[in-house]
Amino acid sequence: MTISLNAFLIVAGLLFAIGFFGVLLRYNTLVLYMCLELMLNATTLALVAFSRFNGTPDGNTFVFFIITVAAAEVAVGLAIIVQLYRRRGTVQVDELTALKD
Amino acid sequence: MTPVTTTLALLLLPLASAAVIALFLRRRHNLAAALSVLAAAGIAALAACLIFGAENRGQTITGSLEWLTLGPLTLKLGFLVDDLAKLMLSVVAFVGFLIHVFSLGYMHDDAAKARFFGGLSVFMFSMLGIVLADNLFMIFIFWELVGFSSYLLINHYNQKQSAADASKKAFIVNRVGDFGFLLGIIWCWWQFKTVNLAELTALRWQGGTAISTALPLLLFCGAVGKSAQFPLQVWLPDAMEGPTPVSALIHAATMVAAGIYMLCRINFLMTVDAVQAIMWIGVATAAYAALCAVVQRDIKKVLAYSTLSQLGYMVAAFGLGQLVWLEWPQADTPHQLWFWGAAAAMFHLTTHAFFKALLFLGSGSVIAGCHHEQDIFKMGGLWKKMPVTFWTFTIGVAAIVGLPFLSGFFSKDAILYLAFLNNKAVFGILTATAVLTAFYMVRMWKITFFGEARSHESEHAHETGLTMTLPLIVLAILSVVGGYSGIFSKIAGSFAEAVPEAHGSAHTGMLLLSCGILLLGGGVAWVFYKTEATDSLAAKSPAAFGLLVKLQELFDRLYGYYVAKVQQRFALVLDFFDFIFVAGVPRFTAQITSWFGSGARLLHVGSLHGYVYWFLFGAALCWAIATGLL
Repeated sequence: MTISLNAFLIVAGLLFAIGFFGVLLRYNTLVLYMCLELMLNATTLALVAFSRFNGTPDGNTFVFFIITVAAAEVAVGLAIIVQLYRRRGTVQVDELTALKD
Repeated sequence: MTPVTTTLALLLLPLASAAVIALFLRRRHNLAAALSVLAAAGIAALAACLIFGAENRGQTITGSLEWLTLGPLTLKLGFLVDDLAKLMLSVVAFVGFLIHVFSLGYMHDDAAKARFFGGLSVFMFSMLGIVLADNLFMIFIFWELVGFSSYLLINHYNQKQSAADASKKAFIVNRVGDFGFLLGIIWCWWQFKTVNLAELTALRWQGGTAISTALPLLLFCGAVGKSAQFPLQVWLPDAMEGPTPVSALIHAATMVAAGIYMLCRINFLMTVDAVQAIMWIGVATAAYAALCAVVQRDIKKVLAYSTLSQLGYMVAAFGLGQLVWLEWPQADTPHQLWFWGAAAAMFHLTTHAFFKALLFLGSGSVIAGCHHEQDIFKMGGLWKKMPVTFWTFTIGVAAIVGLPFLSGFFSKDAILYLAFLNNKAVFGILTATAVLTAFYMVRMWKITFFGEARSHESEHAHETGLTMTLPLIVLAILSVVGGYSGIFSKIAGSFAEAVPEAHGSAHTGMLLLSCGILLLGGGVAWVFYKTEATDSLAAKSPAAFGLLVKLQELFDRLYGYYVAKVQQRFALVLDFFDFIFVAGVPRFTAQITSWFGSGARLLHVGSLHGYVYWFLFGAALCWAIATGLL
């Protein structure tokens, strides 16, 4: 049994949508962060699928870079969130409005 | 002080008092009351200066300053204090002062005394403005101000829904009349290019200016509203929701008489047809109100309908006398200032102010004595318990029914004599009305003061204090002597000479007629009404009683139907069109602006989600540019 490219793309699209609306609608920074990661993973999934169906390695190459960068990003991002919590006592974005003033 | 500064001080004194009360004394009730009464005393003193002062006798005081210039239209504020104004001034100042004193007693325990006395001061200011004004615009300004202060004071017991409704009704009904008045003033300015009374008089005597009948009738609309003439009479009985001194001051002695005063001010603008219409409206009001008064239970409502009826008399008198002059213009020289009609109307206005203020204050004393019971069928037997009130009230009743040689006798006979000379139909109706007046006044008087006490409140009635009885006594004296020409000409000057007076056999005839009216109306009422807890007329002839009640309610029902069923629906249709077409367009454009505003705001409020939307918008924009869509 083979799975068509469209199925992969639909899953990738759904994942991206979940991540996107999560960013738009949630308030917890950690959840936002996970949603960002979800969107990133949606694109990686799409790239892998393209690579597989084209029979070329370009997509896979991208994915390796993305994973590396994402790992570094998560390390920095989570550290920032931890620091944020230590300083401000909260990670809710609606309370983090210091830029307003 | 020059006469002009005296007049100015007279006008500004109550305004100052009202301002001080409104700004500083709203919680200092007794101080506010004292200030307002002092201001009223000051007004009375200054008015006495103007009226009786040797240097002012027979003089007309004028003075004016420019207020506004709008293109060709210049609005001026100024004084014209002639004999007519002095007469009205004496009524407003002296009766007003006595009522202020009475209010000290009547409103003694009131929780909002400061507001009440502040309102009285505002009213005095507005009323004096009408009296002293030298042009129609200024009259109109103060005309609205008295309407406003009347609204304030009717609504004094503002926790009562009926009082709130009554004040709104009074204000709105007055607006109907005032609209016509304003149109009349604009017309007047358009035709004569001036609204100054002295200049208008001069223009009129030069001749050659034809006046349309509609002009005086439009001006008369103002009087119809303010003096509660047929068919705008509905507000006055409801206005009795206000405190009793207010009813005495505004709704009996002064403000409702302002309409008649205004008519006399513009008497030179009259035409024959207009005067006919005015006369018949006055006659209709007099007769209608007298019929309604017969079935009232509330002591103040009886007096309110009686006031309406007497105002009708004055308007009819004005019409009758004016007619005489207009139909034989050569008989009077144009330089004769006052005519029979104006003189007879103002004479009755003055005596009416005395005895009706007395009757209202008397009823206030009765109400206060009976612990705020107003139903005459729950009173009774008060003559022993409240002797001062009883005797003064009796004098008031005697004056209004025209007992010979009291003030009401002279003024009412002047009107009846005028009617007798000119129009027999009017004479017949007015005589019948006089009989009815005697009938309902004696009915009220007997049921209120005689027999046994018919309720707990009237059993424990007590005479009221000195601040209330003293004004009653003074007003009673004025009601007795106010009609004698010696007294009247002192305050009215040249005016008194124009009052029509019967001589010789006609004099005897009028005297007999007056006695006949009194005996017939009063006698029938005295015999017919029993001092019981029920209305004798309702018991013996329910049909007649029901008919009169229906007649009384007719206009309220008619207006209620019109407002609820016709006007309201029409207004709803208009409101719909307004919502969609007129207000809809600006509302939609405003909404667009508002959207831009909230979008731009998102950039600055520090909301992460706002930034995400903007990011999205930016990405879409970039995409659109990249694909060549933009």
